[in-house]
Amino acid sequence: MIDFVQNLISGIAVGCIYALAALGFVLVYKSSRVINFSNGQFIAIGAFLAYALAVWAKLPVLLAALLAMLLTAGLGFLVERVFLRRMVGQPIISVIMVTIGLASVLDGLMYLTPFGSGNFTFPQFLPQGGLNLGGISISYPQLLAIGFTALFLVLFGWFFQRSVLGVSMRAVADDQMASMSVGVSVQRVFALAWAVAGLTAAAAGIVVGAVSGLNQDGLIAIGLAVFPAVILGGLDSVPGAVVGGIIIGILQSLSTAYLDGLFSQIGLVGGGSQYVMPFVVLLVMLWFKPHGLFGTEEIERV
Amino acid sequence: MRNPWAQTGNYRTSYVQDTTIFANYREIVSVVLLLLALCILPMFLERSQVLVLNFILIYAIAVLGLNITTGYAGLISVGQAAFMGVGAYTVALSAPNLPFWLTIPLGGLTAAILGFMVGIPSLRVKHLYLALATLAFQEIFVWVVGRSPALAQGAAIPVEMRNFLGLEIGFRNHNYFWYYVILFVLVLMVIAWRNLLRGKYGRALIAVRDNDRAADAMGMDPGRTKLFAFALGAFYGGIAGGLLAYMQRAVVVEEFTLTRSVALLAMAIVGGLGTVVGSLLGPAFIEFLRLYMERLSEWMKANPFVQSITPAGVDVASALLPLSFGLVIVLFLVFEPRGLYNWWRLLRSYFRTWPFKY
Repeated sequence: MIDFVQNLISGIAVGCIYALAALGFVLVYKSSRVINFSNGQFIAIGAFLAYALAVWAKLPVLLAALLAMLLTAGLGFLVERVFLRRMVGQPIISVIMVTIGLASVLDGLMYLTPFGSGNFTFPQFLPQGGLNLGGISISYPQLLAIGFTALFLVLFGWFFQRSVLGVSMRAVADDQMASMSVGVSVQRVFALAWAVAGLTAAAAGIVVGAVSGLNQDGLIAIGLAVFPAVILGGLDSVPGAVVGGIIIGILQSLSTAYLDGLFSQIGLVGGGSQYVMPFVVLLVMLWFKPHGLFGTEEIERV
Repeated sequence: MRNPWAQTGNYRTSYVQDTTIFANYREIVSVVLLLLALCILPMFLERSQVLVLNFILIYAIAVLGLNITTGYAGLISVGQAAFMGVGAYTVALSAPNLPFWLTIPLGGLTAAILGFMVGIPSLRVKHLYLALATLAFQEIFVWVVGRSPALAQGAAIPVEMRNFLGLEIGFRNHNYFWYYVILFVLVLMVIAWRNLLRGKYGRALIAVRDNDRAADAMGMDPGRTKLFAFALGAFYGGIAGGLLAYMQRAVVVEEFTLTRSVALLAMAIVGGLGTVVGSLLGPAFIEFLRLYMERLSEWMKANPFVQSITPAGVDVASALLPLSFGLVIVLFLVFEPRGLYNWWRLLRSYFRTWPFKY
């Protein structure tokens, strides 16, 4: 039982990473219907920027994290400006393919830096050990992941409910034409959505850095695992993204604990079922409940 | 159509004329000439050059399939390499017992069945979601292969074929022999592709791609149409994978990863979605790009000046490939969404009236 709860907690901590990355992803999808395949690259760039600022520029870790998030947000904004704005009016397939191409470009750019290969760890900025609650221990990095995500959710909630920009983003997500006609700048909203996507992706990358080590492949794999999370929660639902992310995190940690043995019994040796289970869930969800737990079903007119 | 040889435009007046494959005799002649040229081409090439050609033609088959799913049905597939892998592994497992002209179609069929299963969500959701289904299939495929002792956990499984109708296939003529097999299969696949897509089914696919609700209202079944497109695209992938297995004499999982899927998608885009000419030009362009990028990176590794200006720990060589791939995809989509096919079309229409301006 203790083991189970322990696994659950580490799953939630990992799930918070997915939840953070999924937030920005869903925002972009909601406002512009673009499935962003370069999310993993944004996560990696955010994390590596934070590392570079903290280790090479010797800034305090929190300041480095904040700067990295802002810089990645700037990158998201730039990407929208340079590539995606040109694609307005093109079929949505082309726009999605641009993000696939972009992922490849960003990959290449990362190989041009020392971060292309090898592992990196953030300098120790959290105290060792963790809380101990009746035999169940929560390490400080895990606590940080959960707290960071909670903080982000509160900020997002405030932003979308109270601020003018947030409300106009919701308006664009709801109906582009109508929001244009009441004077909302759709272009600015798109740019902002990409900036926020960069910001949350960087936040996710930084949390990865706090919980474990950084390497490019691992960070990009996190970007891919965001897809199951958002499909599970519903592609266009912000709460769904968070719930989906946490469920996928729990699924991963439980499958390491319980499914690896099961898989080796049916002849799939070597373990690592945590890497495949999210995609199995993704496929099963698409078969049986494609709009996810909280997503809205699309109703269209001819 | 008085003189089909000197025809300068499209003078089709009836539906029967409109569904013909070739608009005029000149097109037939040029296709025959192209085929002849491809048949005698290996005689002037070395073994390693034929190998490059083989890869291009195999990818052309896979890209043809991708052009059904992505080009005609409008469903993004980032799993075509996995379907190739399904074909290749089917071939690897059945090659010791069956002849190659049975194992390769078998590989195609297995891939088609899996493609059908992956495409099931298309009965209910639109194309955006399908991209994620193919992504899931791609990841699951690589994982399952890597964990299966029966598939050597992704390490090389040898695929041997030493003899064909008494002809000894060895080190010297291996690439040449498979060149002609691949070319033959490619021609068959192109004929099938053209005939399938110029008829009722092809038009249904276009209708569903452009507006599935309207197509539904006009009596087409969008879900079934898309599902069939998916299975068909996977079939082409499986055939290509089977050929690749024989041509490389081994199957390794590294050939069938997400990176390769994206490369295939890049080939389809660069060539021009939904066209036969594009399916040949795209793989050629990307493969030559890869070849020259590899040469460039080797040159960079050997060049002391380049080494002296790159900081320690930076591997410029491995950056070149993803960088150039991504740039090619993005630049083509932004500046020439119709791909190399459009350049080919412009060139052809220029020479149709040459030397006159109009």
